[in-house]
Amino acid sequence: MRVSQRWLAEFVDVGDMNPDELRDLLAGLGHEVEAIEVLEVPFTGVEIARVEAIRPHPDADKIRLVTVDRGAATQEVVCGAWNFDVGDVVALATVGAVLPGGFEIGAREIRGVVSQGMICSERELGFGDDHEGILVLSGDYELGRDFVDYLELPDVVFDLAITPNRPDAMSMLGIARDVAAKLDIALRPPEIEVTEVDPPTALVIDIADPVGCPRFVGREVRGVTSGPSPMWLQARLRAAGVRPISNLVDATNYVMIELGHPTHAFDLDGVAGERLLIHRAAAGETLTTLDDVDRALDPGDIVISDATGVVSLAGIMGGGPTEVSDATTRVLVEAAHWHPPAILYSSKRHNLRSEASARFERGVDPSLSPRAAARVAQLLVEHAGGEAASGVVDVYPAPVEPWTVELPVAEIERILGVPIGGETAAGLLSRLGMTVTGVDPLSVTVPTGRPDLTRPIDLVEEVARLYGYDQIPETLPHGTGGGLTPQQRRLRVLRSALVGAGITEANTLGFIGISDLDQLGVPEGDPRRSTVRVKNPLSEAEETLRSTLLPGLIKAVARNRSYGRRDVRLFEIGRVFRNQPSSIDNRIPYQPVHLAVVMTGRATAGKEAADRPADVFDLTALVDAASTRLGWHDVGLRQAELAGLHPGRAAEIVKDETVIGTVGELHPSAARKFGLSDRVGALEMLVDPLVAEPAWWGFEPPSVYPPQKFDLAFEMDQELAASELVAAVRSSLGPELESVELFDEFDLGAGRKSLAVTVVVRAADRTITDEEAQGFRRSIIDSVQSELGIKLRGGA
Amino acid sequence: MPQLDAILSSAAERVDGASTLEELETVEAELVGRRSYLNEQRRGLGRLVPAERPAAGARLQEAAITLQGLIDARRTALERLAEDRLLADDRVDVTVPRRPVRQGTGHLISQTIDEIADIFTAIGYQIADGPEAETAWHNFDALNTPWWHPSRLESDTMYLDFGDPADEILLRTQTSTVQARTMESQPPPVHIIAPGRCYRTDTFDATHSPVFHQFEGLAVAEGITFADLKGTLAYFAREYFGPQRTIKVIPHFFPFTEPSAEMHVSCFACDGSGCRVCSNTGWLELLGCGMVDPNVFEAVGYDPAAVTGFAFGGGIERVAMVRHGIEDIRHLFDNDLRVNEQFV
Repeated sequence: MRVSQRWLAEFVDVGDMNPDELRDLLAGLGHEVEAIEVLEVPFTGVEIARVEAIRPHPDADKIRLVTVDRGAATQEVVCGAWNFDVGDVVALATVGAVLPGGFEIGAREIRGVVSQGMICSERELGFGDDHEGILVLSGDYELGRDFVDYLELPDVVFDLAITPNRPDAMSMLGIARDVAAKLDIALRPPEIEVTEVDPPTALVIDIADPVGCPRFVGREVRGVTSGPSPMWLQARLRAAGVRPISNLVDATNYVMIELGHPTHAFDLDGVAGERLLIHRAAAGETLTTLDDVDRALDPGDIVISDATGVVSLAGIMGGGPTEVSDATTRVLVEAAHWHPPAILYSSKRHNLRSEASARFERGVDPSLSPRAAARVAQLLVEHAGGEAASGVVDVYPAPVEPWTVELPVAEIERILGVPIGGETAAGLLSRLGMTVTGVDPLSVTVPTGRPDLTRPIDLVEEVARLYGYDQIPETLPHGTGGGLTPQQRRLRVLRSALVGAGITEANTLGFIGISDLDQLGVPEGDPRRSTVRVKNPLSEAEETLRSTLLPGLIKAVARNRSYGRRDVRLFEIGRVFRNQPSSIDNRIPYQPVHLAVVMTGRATAGKEAADRPADVFDLTALVDAASTRLGWHDVGLRQAELAGLHPGRAAEIVKDETVIGTVGELHPSAARKFGLSDRVGALEMLVDPLVAEPAWWGFEPPSVYPPQKFDLAFEMDQELAASELVAAVRSSLGPELESVELFDEFDLGAGRKSLAVTVVVRAADRTITDEEAQGFRRSIIDSVQSELGIKLRGGA
Repeated sequence: MPQLDAILSSAAERVDGASTLEELETVEAELVGRRSYLNEQRRGLGRLVPAERPAAGARLQEAAITLQGLIDARRTALERLAEDRLLADDRVDVTVPRRPVRQGTGHLISQTIDEIADIFTAIGYQIADGPEAETAWHNFDALNTPWWHPSRLESDTMYLDFGDPADEILLRTQTSTVQARTMESQPPPVHIIAPGRCYRTDTFDATHSPVFHQFEGLAVAEGITFADLKGTLAYFAREYFGPQRTIKVIPHFFPFTEPSAEMHVSCFACDGSGCRVCSNTGWLELLGCGMVDPNVFEAVGYDPAAVTGFAFGGGIERVAMVRHGIEDIRHLFDNDLRVNEQFV
């Protein structure tokens, strides 16, 4: 809402207020000022003059010599425009005038005749684009007077963001009421008077849909002549951001901005039968709106019909035949109240947002309709030479009466935390036009223009608004709980472990396409295929909520490669979504938090580092480091062939016999589909099992006895996992086993390999003798042989 | 033993003449080794008459100590020299970063969430979490948003093809959903911060992202007031933007709070005098807030006559972008390492 300070000053004394002060005052009332525009006087030395005589130029055909009356004097100027006659009032740039752009007017000789000034067009004066001819003024002007006096300049325009709960503030008068209430000064509403002339209007209005149209006020104005509005009115409309069109249309726009009630002007001669019916559109009905668009109407649209069919999309836009034009002589002024949600939906459905629909959406005061209609009629009488027909058609089946809200005085302090007495509160509320009686509770009668005030809390807000939010003190209460949960703390540890391992956190948008799953090689039946589709996706290519973090992260890695990065290591922690009910609320989808890591490029950085590509082992080490850091020592790997991953370089991450994730290298064909040619390590797992708190660990005092250490090399098939060997060694000994470490891996060819482990045994209560160590060695060998069917390398 | 005297008098010269540990070993063998004159004399002591033995023995012993002392001193010196040479050979330019330890960075968004969590846990708040795919009830109805409100339209909210259509499952447009989730699951008092992801049908541009993060604050107890809201936000502003910060709150409108307000913080870059950061206003618009609307309490089963509360909701990206001078939100979702590595 653009608010002109000059226009506002008509209703409340703010004409001399500093614009910054006024901005703060408006903001303090809840009307945020998004921009301030200063309207300067664009020219000097332009006067009102009347054309007295016109004669041809002695030496030129296309220009004429015009004698103008400046009130105190007459003079002759040369003019090339032909759109005026003797008696017309024009804007004369006198000698010495400075027009927009610094264009100075001097006495100028044109083909032998000296022109003492220039008659101006709109464009030469810096407003409007009309350069077809000179500006011909209509209305009352004093000859010789500075033209600026009629242009409402200079001015300051405040662009306000009006909140949706304040339909009343979508008007100059509404803003003025707030300002007057805040400053506790007088409000001067416009004086609305219409002199009615018989015969009475024959107009008939029928409302078939009183929900959609609770009130319709119609007035007839006859004998109007279409033409430009007076300059001051045009200037005010321009300041408000509305383009002046004609006195007939301008009158409705002026009243909308002044009072906040949109109105519509019909050409009554275009209304068949002088009878209008308000109803919901029937299936198949259409309307060609003013913008020349044929619109199929929806049963939710409220429409106005005459005897021939639909003539207007109510509250939004009219149709052709009933629209006012230059030929219009008889106007039907409509001031109606429309159901806000219906207007909201229709304007969105037809993509027709306007100043009018913006007001109807918020809810226009139904009590205001007769005044709005009268005000338009008054302007048409004053500026279009019309006569208001006697009689007002006012269809209002269920009048809205002001309502009363009881406000207990203690409620004010309970909410605001500052003791504001009943008397102060009553004073503040009555300044806004409310009637307050009673002492406690206050009995507050709310005008119908404030549909947002129906409960005590609504009145508390009004009290606070006028009292001033800035007058309320600042106190800091402390909460009753506090601290992070163990899981929240451990999530931070996880994140910091990953960062410490040289991996950078990413944040991807979270939408994927089915094609991403195809590229990743996710087969049908895989849980990641159980996706949740977005009904109104941002793009068809990404129409699904992510069921896996990998596609987003792989794309981020690929993007970094395209930016010229060689080594890219990214992780993300975020929710994925599955098409199955959540355990916390079965109405919503299961949405567990996942961790994913994707890396490519060199495994280590620096001058000396070998150019070893990051591979699966960098990720398996990460799983181990992160889970150990979080106190889980039982997170293991189970080599497996997994969809989308390299068949020989992938594993399931297992905890408590449950698969909690997968780790490996992307299948080269999948990597290529995402534009990556090197090895790409990828890990994705559930976060909850990691951040869950393990049981308290129990202390084991270190043994004071020396260890025995021996190495064992086993020979086996390539397929046998080292982890199985280590597990078999572990399970073969009791508490004396201190550690098992894999130290050598050797390819024997022919599908065979050798794995060597170093075993350390130590007892808590004795020195293990060589003989005892030999015994342990023997049991390991036997046990591994019986469990895995493998033997010592070179052994029997 | 004149020969011994000669050995002793020339010993220092001979020992110091050894320029390597090997040469010194040769000299040592000659002076005190098994075949040295000294050792021969020692072995010959038995042949002396008993009365001469103590004096001769003492003299030999004294000579041995003297010689060994000279040798040991020389050895120490030579060893030090040898080590110095080794160390000199071992010299490197330590300013060459040969083995950098790779460090990642946490994302600015999670860092900001952690920082805000720390600010509020310090004054007794808990950090609450909630689902991102939500029911329309939690996102709208419980928050006093009328059925016809434009924010419910598909032009603003993303709806999901899931479950019972009557539940209108959607991607939450605000973390305020956690208000309802928390209050329906526990009685008052409640003091929570709920940070998390939100989604709106916005096209990506410098200031809009279809995915963004908010932090919702909610305090509900007997006696919570608007003054408490102002004090809490002022505390947050000082903790996050610096101790000199002041705030102002101006009236605004949200369906789920009444009175509603918008909180502004004095510009940290210019201390309120006006600069580019604050578009010359001296203030930065930070978040929306207000007193919890009684309808919200009723929706979750709290008695609005017994408790009051305040709520506020801010953009994680917004506060971080303001503080770090990031002008385009898309930087936070592109995952360009040149950007993310700045998040230290």
